[in-house]
Amino acid sequence: MVRKYIALLRMKYVEMLAYRLATIVWMTGAVVQPLITMIVWMNIRPSQSDAFVFYFMALIFVERMTSAWDVWELDREIRHGTFSTYILRPLHPIHWAIAENIVYKGLFLVVLVPFWAVLALFVPVLRLDVTGTQMLLFLPALVLGMMLRFLFSYTCGLLGFWITKVTAVYSMMEVVSLFLSGRIAPLSMLPPVLQQWSIFLPFRYMIGFPIDILTGAANRADIAFGFLVASVWVMLLIVALCLLWKAGLKKNQAVGG
Amino acid sequence: MGRYWRIFREFFRACFVEELEYRSEFLSNLLSSFFGIGIAILTVKIFFYQTDQLGGWTYADVLVLLGVFNTLRGLIDFALRPNMPRLLEHIRKGTLDYILTKPVDSMFYVSFRHLMFWRLIDVLLGLGVIGYGLVQQHYMPSLLDVAMFVISIGSSFVLIYALWMMLMTTSFWVIRIDDLSFIFDSFFETARFPSGMYRGWLRIILTYVLPAAVITNMPALSLLGRWNVVTTAVSVGIAGFFLWLSHRFWRFALRSYTSASS
Repeated sequence: MVRKYIALLRMKYVEMLAYRLATIVWMTGAVVQPLITMIVWMNIRPSQSDAFVFYFMALIFVERMTSAWDVWELDREIRHGTFSTYILRPLHPIHWAIAENIVYKGLFLVVLVPFWAVLALFVPVLRLDVTGTQMLLFLPALVLGMMLRFLFSYTCGLLGFWITKVTAVYSMMEVVSLFLSGRIAPLSMLPPVLQQWSIFLPFRYMIGFPIDILTGAANRADIAFGFLVASVWVMLLIVALCLLWKAGLKKNQAVGG
Repeated sequence: MGRYWRIFREFFRACFVEELEYRSEFLSNLLSSFFGIGIAILTVKIFFYQTDQLGGWTYADVLVLLGVFNTLRGLIDFALRPNMPRLLEHIRKGTLDYILTKPVDSMFYVSFRHLMFWRLIDVLLGLGVIGYGLVQQHYMPSLLDVAMFVISIGSSFVLIYALWMMLMTTSFWVIRIDDLSFIFDSFFETARFPSGMYRGWLRIILTYVLPAAVITNMPALSLLGRWNVVTTAVSVGIAGFFLWLSHRFWRFALRSYTSASS
């Protein structure tokens, strides 16, 4: 398995190098909306400007690190019938997607961390003032976020065996998650009803939860409960993925190819 | 001018016939448009849950602004967005030759040949939100307000067209695989909120260099009766100037066009 993964990673790494410029250009496109939202909040609460700067910079980082594009890929491959070539291989297709995610997120990390460090030189708020425990909790929360978003996107992609407009459905979910994941506002700024929803739905754990740990907005009980809910969702999504995969293979008609 | 209007009507008819082939898409497009505007209103509501003014604008004002934003975006998606990526394709494949040999202005042809009708739903929804905002504000715009609104939204559209066209024209020199429309999208996204929200150098850039803030703010202010003859006249002048500039740029770029195919 390890040898297989090394081969996969190397392959995906070479693939990525071919598109690295496009990837970095795309990354800049994902920055504008959080920045505008940040400016809105700085206008609403001028006294908390610094906190919002930190929150939204962390948001850009976490959002990039957890981003998932598998639904678009799967949708295209299933519709065009090229997915069949993956099914024939002796390794579950999900491993290709996982390898791709690891490689791209490595690239994001290599770009974003130095960028943050340089920015912190000029913007004092961004100098990390966190305890070791916070950092120790942040990293697993970030990994959980990556897993959740990846599994969610992949599971949705598998629905492509049945419906053709799966990306449209996914885009709608993304928009719903704008509110519940903490992208429009930190959890504490939301109306109480939305706060309640976001605690039990998976979206918050994809983006907002790691940030709340970093900013100290979540207390001990919140964090413990959060990890619990997130883990339950990961397990649920894994089960759903397996079931959909089995049923989908029977359904697959391999158009074209 | 009359000739170009006739040609545009012909494009309109051709695209309409094309669109009728995909009638089943209509319902899902309608749903997604409604969903989109609903989410946008909800976002504004979330912000106003914590405050009662944003950059000096009240909730109802911001709704009118949002309506203007949606209307303008609908117009852009209707007429401009389907065409701009195609220009890259034409340059890359050398099919621009066919357009250049036609007896019409080539910039006009590449800009308006393809239209996406269902995007007009967004225009209607945008107008609906404007109406709702005005009712919330208890303000009945006078005929003059509406005239000012039409003039300023028209010049905003022309300005956007000219800026985007200039961005795309650079592809004669730099042939890219992906189109740059997302750069435009990011820029346009700043127009969603009152310009009074931005401060310092950002405000100067968004007012004078990339006037994203102005293009939606001015029509919204016009409808709310807070128009100003001088600024409206200036905006019309600027839009005209940029249209002229983009046309000159296009002509200049055509000189360095060396057909790709043989």
